[in-house]
Amino acid sequence: MARLLLIASALLFLCVFLVLPLLAVFVQAFSKGVAAYYMAISAPMAWAAVKLTLLVAAIAVPLNLVFGVAAAWAVAKFDFRGKSALITLIDLPFAVSPVIAGMIFILVFGTHGWFGGSLKAHHIHVVFAVPGIVLATIFVTFPFIARELIPVMQAQGKEDEETALSLGATGWQTFWRVTLPNIRWGLLYGVLLCNARAMGEFGAVSVVSGHIRGLTNTMPLHVEILYNEYNYTAAFAVASLLALLALLTLAGKSFMEWRQPELRRATHLPRDRLGGVRTRRVNT
Amino acid sequence: MSIALRGVTKQFGEYAAVENIDLDVPTGALMALLGPSGSGKTTLLRIIGGLETPDEGQVLFDGQDATLWPIGDRKVGFVFQQYALFRHMTVFENVAFGLKVKRRRERPSAEGIRKKVQELLVLVQLEWAHDRYPAQLSGGQRQRVALARAMAVDPRVLLLDEPFGALDSQVRHELRRWLRRLHDELHFTSIIVTHDQQEAIEVADTVVVLNRGKIEQVGIPGEIYDLPKSAFVHRFLGQVNELPVQLRNGRAYVGPIDIAAAADVQTGSAKNVALIRPHEIEIGDVGTGWPATVVAMRVIGPIVRLDLCADGQPIHEPLEAEIGRERFEAERFSLGQKVGMKFRRWQVYPAAA
Repeated sequence: MARLLLIASALLFLCVFLVLPLLAVFVQAFSKGVAAYYMAISAPMAWAAVKLTLLVAAIAVPLNLVFGVAAAWAVAKFDFRGKSALITLIDLPFAVSPVIAGMIFILVFGTHGWFGGSLKAHHIHVVFAVPGIVLATIFVTFPFIARELIPVMQAQGKEDEETALSLGATGWQTFWRVTLPNIRWGLLYGVLLCNARAMGEFGAVSVVSGHIRGLTNTMPLHVEILYNEYNYTAAFAVASLLALLALLTLAGKSFMEWRQPELRRATHLPRDRLGGVRTRRVNT
Repeated sequence: MSIALRGVTKQFGEYAAVENIDLDVPTGALMALLGPSGSGKTTLLRIIGGLETPDEGQVLFDGQDATLWPIGDRKVGFVFQQYALFRHMTVFENVAFGLKVKRRRERPSAEGIRKKVQELLVLVQLEWAHDRYPAQLSGGQRQRVALARAMAVDPRVLLLDEPFGALDSQVRHELRRWLRRLHDELHFTSIIVTHDQQEAIEVADTVVVLNRGKIEQVGIPGEIYDLPKSAFVHRFLGQVNELPVQLRNGRAYVGPIDIAAAADVQTGSAKNVALIRPHEIEIGDVGTGWPATVVAMRVIGPIVRLDLCADGQPIHEPLEAEIGRERFEAERFSLGQKVGMKFRRWQVYPAAA
């Protein structure tokens, strides 16, 4: 009875706070019919926002993939001075408000910022332009991949790499053939989370974008503008697209988790001391 | 290949993992580095293999200074306690790894690789498992794959870091004997790190006992066990009973037993202890030697362990004695029985201050 109650209350909570709002987005988006929905999302400004969002994610995610793997590698496989400082730094984007993250870039690259003068002299636009949005997004989404990988790499230890090196492999061969396959699932998961956030980031991007329609508006910003103009149908139509992207990401994640147990059995688990106990013994 | 260490020292922060180690490993030797955890045995192995660089001293491979050689150039085969098999590769791919990463000029043909891997899998008796994944094998099988993988690149020396530590005792025993046979057939130089004295004695032809980053004793297994040079080695190589030694009227006594002339047990210390192994205690009739009471008995296969409480000794510190099963059954010892105790052998060391 207690268990039923617990499950029911959890379900109810989920419905009220997650499923209903999500449904509301789609209901509102289609409230004036499919034609109006189509009109809203095919508007040139909406399309520009979609394209910009995808562009930003397409730049930020691969860069964070490289940075994240490098940072996790450094933290997990080496001991050096300032390691704990590095770990704290990696967490910084989680700790500071995204608005402040945006402000940092205004301060550094804005007209009156540190590099504002020299940037202007060379006609390079960072703030209120695409580069600023990309920078802010990279900043905010940096921890996702590194955070996902550090525990995975720490748990795996260094012995695989040491073995590969002792067998004559070069550093690159060791990375591509041993390290990367070992972390691929954690990495993919980190990339998905990073991607979801890169597409959905509002605060930091809002500060550096300048809200120039068709030029520096990402999807979340575009939704807000439409909403503030009382254009609810269009706002929710674009929002529904964004939600759809998020749902696709989650579906991808679930798919991986569903696949993983199988893969685990074949290639993953027994790195622990219980390995011999947990796995079937085939006549030693 | 012969290996020599000259004055090797390695610090981790304030802590000296190994200190001024000199050691010679002759070609074809199977040497065990034996010690408790923290004794520096693994650090020493990693220095030889190039996974750590010593702060001071030299590592010589066949007389050549190899101290700063990168690990890939040393041609050492590593085998770790946790196997470190590449999980996403089959057994075949694991063993072939070292051949496949060779530069194109040195790399054997695909057929050559296949043949070599097949040979190695036959050698480790796992030819049937070549397309299995590591997770589908038992611990003992995985460790044999790791060994085959290490041998695939024809290493000049094989370094084994607690290779059987994660296995249950029966598999461990089998693998030790198998490793010894393999070594006798192929004569590669090997160094095995272990904290298990029985393993060291069973498998190696030279045992190096380490304690706190220093070498306590080097010797053949029998010598290490029978003639330990320090109380540490004596204690580490097996069960011991420790009893204080009293010097009276020019004689040395353990309890009421006169063991030797005082001059023969002089250690330069005022307080001394005698270390006596359980099988070195002789149990006789009451009235001979030191009176004692049997307070516990346990049959362990072919031997029987008796706890004896010697008169005048604290009751909660019984001595441990071992006798053969046949004698135990012939004489029908019983709990509470009074016996007389003598010592067949003993060794005296200065007592720790």
